[in-house]
Amino acid sequence: MASQPLSSSVQPTDVYGGDEVSAIILDPGYSSVRAGFAGEDTPKSFLNSYYGVGADKKLVFGDDAIHNPLAGLEIRNPMAKDGTTEDWDTATQLWEYAITSRLTSFKQADPRTNGLNDDLKDEKDVDAEMEGVQEGEKPLEEHPLLMTETAWNSTKNREKSIEIAMESWGCPAFWLARNSVLAAFGAGKATALVIDMGASTASVMCVHDGLILKKSVQKSPLAGNWLSSQIRSLFSAADPKVDLVPHYMIASKTPVDAGAPAQAVYRKFDNPPTPSFRALEEERVLTEFKESVVQVWAGPGRLNSPTQAGSTNLDFVRSQPGRVFEFPDGANRMWGVERFTASEGLFDASAALPIPSEETPVQKSQTIPEMIKASISAVDVDLRAALLQNIVVTGGSSLLNGFNDRLNNELITMYPGARIKIHAAGLTAERRFGSWIGGSILGSLGTFHQMWISRKEYEEFGVSIIEKRCK
Amino acid sequence: MTSNDVRDMLDLPGNVGPRPAKKQKIAAPKSTLKGLAREVQSLGGDNPIAIVPEVTAFKKRRFASRKPAAKWEFKPFKNSARKDDLILRHWRRKTEAPPAPAGQDGKTEQANAQAEAEMDDSTFAKFNVRVKVPTYDDEQYKLYLQSEDWSKDETDYLMGLAQDFDLRWPVIWDRYEYQPPMPDMEGVEGAIMTVPKTRSLEDLKARYYKVAAAMMIVHKPQDKMISSEFAMYETMLSFNPAQETARKKFAENAFHRTRDEAKEEESLLLELKRILARSDKLNEERRELYARLEAPPSTGNIGIYSSSQGLQSLLQQLMTVDKSKKRRSLMAPEGASPAPGGSNLLQQGNLDRRDSSVRESMSVASASNGKRGGTAPGPTERRQLTEEEERTYGVSHPTDRLTSGPLFRYEKLSKPVTTKSTAQQMKITNTLNELGLPPRLIMPTADTGVVYESLIESIIRMLQYRALSDKLSGEIAIAKAQKAEKEKRERAARGEPEPGAGDAAAQEEDHDDEVKVEDGERQKSVAPSVKSDNAHKRSASVLSSVSDKSTKRQKK
Repeated sequence: MASQPLSSSVQPTDVYGGDEVSAIILDPGYSSVRAGFAGEDTPKSFLNSYYGVGADKKLVFGDDAIHNPLAGLEIRNPMAKDGTTEDWDTATQLWEYAITSRLTSFKQADPRTNGLNDDLKDEKDVDAEMEGVQEGEKPLEEHPLLMTETAWNSTKNREKSIEIAMESWGCPAFWLARNSVLAAFGAGKATALVIDMGASTASVMCVHDGLILKKSVQKSPLAGNWLSSQIRSLFSAADPKVDLVPHYMIASKTPVDAGAPAQAVYRKFDNPPTPSFRALEEERVLTEFKESVVQVWAGPGRLNSPTQAGSTNLDFVRSQPGRVFEFPDGANRMWGVERFTASEGLFDASAALPIPSEETPVQKSQTIPEMIKASISAVDVDLRAALLQNIVVTGGSSLLNGFNDRLNNELITMYPGARIKIHAAGLTAERRFGSWIGGSILGSLGTFHQMWISRKEYEEFGVSIIEKRCK
Repeated sequence: MTSNDVRDMLDLPGNVGPRPAKKQKIAAPKSTLKGLAREVQSLGGDNPIAIVPEVTAFKKRRFASRKPAAKWEFKPFKNSARKDDLILRHWRRKTEAPPAPAGQDGKTEQANAQAEAEMDDSTFAKFNVRVKVPTYDDEQYKLYLQSEDWSKDETDYLMGLAQDFDLRWPVIWDRYEYQPPMPDMEGVEGAIMTVPKTRSLEDLKARYYKVAAAMMIVHKPQDKMISSEFAMYETMLSFNPAQETARKKFAENAFHRTRDEAKEEESLLLELKRILARSDKLNEERRELYARLEAPPSTGNIGIYSSSQGLQSLLQQLMTVDKSKKRRSLMAPEGASPAPGGSNLLQQGNLDRRDSSVRESMSVASASNGKRGGTAPGPTERRQLTEEEERTYGVSHPTDRLTSGPLFRYEKLSKPVTTKSTAQQMKITNTLNELGLPPRLIMPTADTGVVYESLIESIIRMLQYRALSDKLSGEIAIAKAQKAEKEKRERAARGEPEPGAGDAAAQEEDHDDEVKVEDGERQKSVAPSVKSDNAHKRSASVLSSVSDKSTKRQKK
């Protein structure tokens, strides 16, 4: 610690191009908002995108508040189904909460001048200081803000985001980056084919030198939430039918044998929580189910395609051991082939289970292999080989067991002549926060300083500057 | 109680020097090994343990270097690469100017103000590199850059994109969404809304390079360019969009080809390479082979080689010759014979290669079967050749009985000659010489063999007829002479001619006719078989001339 500072000639500037200006990276998504300081490896603030509206119309944010089974607690999400922002007023509050609750709530001023160490004699001075703080009550005055957006974000939305950052939060500088590009950066690549499996949307697009190729952008709703609805269909079709009861409903339970009906005491609510609350809590159970049971058939071939021995892969899966899952009410059973069928629709449209609430069946073009095909064929032929060698898989839903193996198999059959290399972070956190990490890298780069849209520029050109600068 | 006390009590003389001194000696090293437990130290006995106890010096060092904690400051800086003066802050070690002691507020503020005045520039500003996109004004555009296909507005748009995306062509092409300006002033043309053309990447590049090259020459005459500039100029001028498109198309096809296709292409290329590499050697071998074939026929008896045993010994002999020559070239021509060992392998290799190159009508399974069939041929596994292939490879299905063992084609050809007497052999050779043919065929293919055989046959026939006609004419001459003598005698006796001799002459005449007819038939039977084969015109014409000559001779 006490060693001498390196002189500028010894400093390894060529290796580490970082120059941190305490920028904040905000990466809002459909299921969660990630926020943190640039240069760190994980977001300090991780917030559920769902928020609660209490009976008194008061908004509550964060997992600590929204899972409380209060009467009349309405659960909502400010994001649209395609991952863009819909309800700007609430979204602003939500993001502000994400930033101020963990990152900038306590502003450390210079101890010599913050008044805490002063004698009580000059109280007057302290008051003046406090007033000064009150005047500039904007959460991000000292921090440049790097925000992420989807590739299909509308111009209106983009302009709105710079407006909020500059007007409401008082950022000195702002930048809006595509989350897929950042995911590629997070994987250490400037040119990549990014496959992002989010909660509400799965997207595939090509990134060349840190710029998305707009013609190659493909998205589909076949992602985490769709998979949840597949599991719901699976539960309703199962024999005996699986009753999905979330945790908050259970007062106590007794262990039962596999397949036996649950023996649990349910909680009685005088004022039962809202359906939206129940949906949120059910989703948590489904998430657990996805994490521990659901698996993707790793290939080769599809789940329904025949093997060389004359049987189908389905038969092979049947012979494999299943997995037991215990629901909150204690009911448990073995899940054999079903855990594969739930996810097969991601790759094979004909294998998707019908969802009663949705009339239109899954299109073939919505499956991941077809999206990749469409995306690749929309870029210049000279780029394709490089892109296939740099496939970046990111997003929480890509953590499905066997997903990458299947993806690899599908790609090999689709492009037999090309060299395929999939880059998927091994750590769960890196996969889930891929785009945030990329933002963290970008925001801490010394060469990024010249990119920021400064407050001065914003004042000069207005909101339209975002279209001009962030391409 | 010390020993001194004991001595005191016992009245012994005191002050024994050496002992305490010795004790002190032992104590001296002990003090240095302070950190070690006594028990541990005693383990070493007389020899001191070679463990250097760690010196813990936390406090010591802290107080030794009387430096205060390193000072960091949240230092503002600006970036000269930016046009606006955005001031960002980062944490930096306070290096220069020993910090003012705390408490003197006025002085620190002053220092801060000073720092702000000479705010340092970001070290990364120098990395701000922009591409230089050609610029032009209206005048220059009109002079040099007019194009039917491109309006000035669209060219401007392209240049703007090139600047924005730093000449990343895939991105430029991806984002290229040119909308022609709304015609507001020109009401005449306003009615026609031009649909924006879809430009290919090559179109964009071609236009850009054209503009760039034109502007380059405007700004700097060609003779003043330095070599790198000129090279760039040349490259831009020689950009050929059609060729690029063709290349892309080819690349796309290559991209979509399957692994099997790729593998096959690779193997074919490899084979081609091998063939090319060996072609020189092969040519030389072929030349040598020709020379060998044209050499005068060996006079030695080949009868000993007609049995398989003899042939085996011949092969051995040749192999030893081969080995001594350090070359395996002789094996190749011998490969035709079903000799065991290398040649057989070689043949199989040929078969395999043919298999791989035959694309259609062979599934993978049957191909691999066929390969195995080479070593253990079963009747069903053997490849069935089509008629065309049979002709190509010279496979025949002879109906007549063959002698056991291998039979060379030239041997078969020379058989009718060698079985004749030497006088007749001479005659045949002479006839062949007359026709300008070598006594042995250079390239005894099946077709030429057949024709050659028939030629030899007809020559032999011709020689037979000639001998016969010679004999007959001799007889006739004798008969005539006898008759003449007889007539002479009878005339001498009676003085008048006799009709009987004319009969005999007429008879002779008849015989001659018969021969002629027969020969004509022969000619007919040979000619069509030859003439049907156009590929061997030379031998055909030769044959017809042969028959001509034979008839001429006949007439004589």
